[in-house]
Amino acid sequence: MKKKVLAALLATSMVAASLVGCGNSGNEAGGASSADNSTAATDNSAAADNSTADSTADNSAAADNSTADSAAADNSAASSDDPVANLIAATTDTVKLTVWASEEDQTLTTQLLEDFKATYPDVTFDITLGSESESTAKDTILADVEAAADVFAFADDQINEMVQAGALQPVAATYTFDVASENVAGSVEAATINGTLYAYPMTADNGYFMFYDASVFSEEDVKSLDKMVEVAEAAGKKIAMDVSNGWYIYAFFQGAGYELTLNEDGSNNCTWNAAGATDVAQAIMDLYGTNVLVDMSDEEMATAIAEGTVVAAVNGTWRAETASDAWGENYSATKLPTFNVAGKECQMSSYSGYKLIGVNPYSANIGWSMLLAEFLTNESAQAARFEARGLGPSNVAAASSDAVQADPAIAALAAQAAYATPQRVGGNFWAPAETLGQILADGSAGSDLQSVLDTAVEGIMAPIE
Amino acid sequence: MKKTVGFVVRHLVLTFLVVIWLVPILWLLVTSFSAYKGINTAHFFPEQWSLDNYKVLFLQPDSVVQYGAWFKNTLLIAIFTCIVSTSFVLMVSYAMSCLRFKGRKGLMSFGIVLNMFPGVLSMIAVYFVMKSLGLTNSHLGMIIVYSAGSGLGYLITKGFMDTISTSLREAAWLEGASEATIFFKIIIPLSQPIIVYTIINSFLVPWGDFVLAKLMLNSGIATDWTIAIGLFNMLGKSLINKYFSIFCAGGVIVSIPISALFVLMQKFYVEGVTGGSVKG
Repeated sequence: MKKKVLAALLATSMVAASLVGCGNSGNEAGGASSADNSTAATDNSAAADNSTADSTADNSAAADNSTADSAAADNSAASSDDPVANLIAATTDTVKLTVWASEEDQTLTTQLLEDFKATYPDVTFDITLGSESESTAKDTILADVEAAADVFAFADDQINEMVQAGALQPVAATYTFDVASENVAGSVEAATINGTLYAYPMTADNGYFMFYDASVFSEEDVKSLDKMVEVAEAAGKKIAMDVSNGWYIYAFFQGAGYELTLNEDGSNNCTWNAAGATDVAQAIMDLYGTNVLVDMSDEEMATAIAEGTVVAAVNGTWRAETASDAWGENYSATKLPTFNVAGKECQMSSYSGYKLIGVNPYSANIGWSMLLAEFLTNESAQAARFEARGLGPSNVAAASSDAVQADPAIAALAAQAAYATPQRVGGNFWAPAETLGQILADGSAGSDLQSVLDTAVEGIMAPIE
Repeated sequence: MKKTVGFVVRHLVLTFLVVIWLVPILWLLVTSFSAYKGINTAHFFPEQWSLDNYKVLFLQPDSVVQYGAWFKNTLLIAIFTCIVSTSFVLMVSYAMSCLRFKGRKGLMSFGIVLNMFPGVLSMIAVYFVMKSLGLTNSHLGMIIVYSAGSGLGYLITKGFMDTISTSLREAAWLEGASEATIFFKIIIPLSQPIIVYTIINSFLVPWGDFVLAKLMLNSGIATDWTIAIGLFNMLGKSLINKYFSIFCAGGVIVSIPISALFVLMQKFYVEGVTGGSVKG
């Protein structure tokens, strides 16, 4: 009996102790930081208030300024009545920021972050750089927005869902330059949802075009896909295009005038089975039936280009290095060719893609996050990004520089831009489009193309559950 | 004659199976020695051999490959998880096997049923609990999560302890030994094989885990990652062409500690798993 009482006492005291312990440790660790946080937060909100108020007021002035000094980053600390000065004045604590950039961007971003710190020497920064691929940023960020970085890079096709989930801070005011007017219209459009700008355009090269080996094709040849197939067949070589991928098969149907659009609720609207669309499907089947135009995934393409079996490929700037290594001075790039739909030449369309930088609305330092996002996307940063990685700038001034203009891949993208559309498509598009591409490419579609297209469109337009 | 045919057929089937099982591993191994960085499916064996991939792993870490840091993180997490969860399992098994108390049967069934739910089910809840405690992105948090529920996996160990004769414990009890003395001086030394099994098992869970690590270590800071996340990251579409053979090398290295552990403990392991199955 005594023992039981003792045991009960011990158990109670242990539970009590553990509770108290938890409380204490929580207070010590969490309490201190929450105190810090709250002060930071109040400072910040003050800063944010200031900045929004001031910068909306000064916005026109800021815009004026920015045109005068597009290398705004350097002079930002100069005048005392600009929003940046206010932001600095309102900052007393260390500014803690987390930045996510893609793996390939780490070296460059590290450098840019150092420059950023040097630009504002009066402020103590504690900036952590993490890596997160632009193409998967959405998944990681939406898993827990509060835990995500303050400033992050992502691809523009994810913007709809990110805005719906409240993971992007609207760019209501700017500090150093006017984002909307200094970037190409397409990129700004891609960063805008319902009239509100949500992100800072960083690159404008996430689209695809035609790479070719100039020793095989002449400039005249690459204007038409049928001609290219003829030439490649004569040379015993192949042309690669990943048609079993919704991103690429879009080029054919959109080029022939059939539509694919995104509805409000995230489902798709698609006319790929309308009257005459079977001709497009037939054209794809005929092209791939030659076995000269081949369906290859990006990785296979890389191998095949390096091996020399593929002499032309539809792909994006990320393959520029592979292609120029393989073809040397014969490395060329141009817009996509035309293709023949029931006797009519149609220009292939494409998706244009942009990479954007977004700011987390849950950031503890919204003001500084926005300023950093601007810094990472301003003209000199974009020029540096082109220098270091060959990525096409979205900044108008940076894009018009001679060096950028001389890059074949970027020039080809610019030529393709007239036929390209931003990627606005719901998640239900990819799987049916992939299947459609696969059966058209391997010729197993049979003769009833209409029913094949009907099935694909039914899948693409399936409602969101 | 008939015997020979049977022998040949049997061994042909076995050879066939061996080839099927070993080809992927062999491919991983030879690709890890390839001088070509990306995936090259045109050849099974690389055209040029090189040790560069291993060099990059350990001597030239870049922003993508922080293999040394990952290895250290994973090893630390695995070792501590191993210690904590092995002791949990042993303690629970001892209590369930050797002690008699009210509700023992009920508790045992409850534990087994609870253990049958896949841990993935509670992952999101676990994540938010850890986040509110500030333990995400922390290796301590990982260790806690991995080892917290491990006591529920007591079944095999308990089965083994059941085979240890009660009279041994009774004798010790009569000599005046406490439960702790019995546990440390009698049960533990006799349970050596099953302890080895428990150690290996509880080491493997954190060593190979991807899902939970990916969820918990979400800061994007490469030096905080475990091997599984780091290797997975190399397969991103923009990296795979530069890092695939390094990924293979990483995969080969990862298997070394486990293989070593198995080879060292193999003798005990076999004894341990079958030990509890015959009740004596």
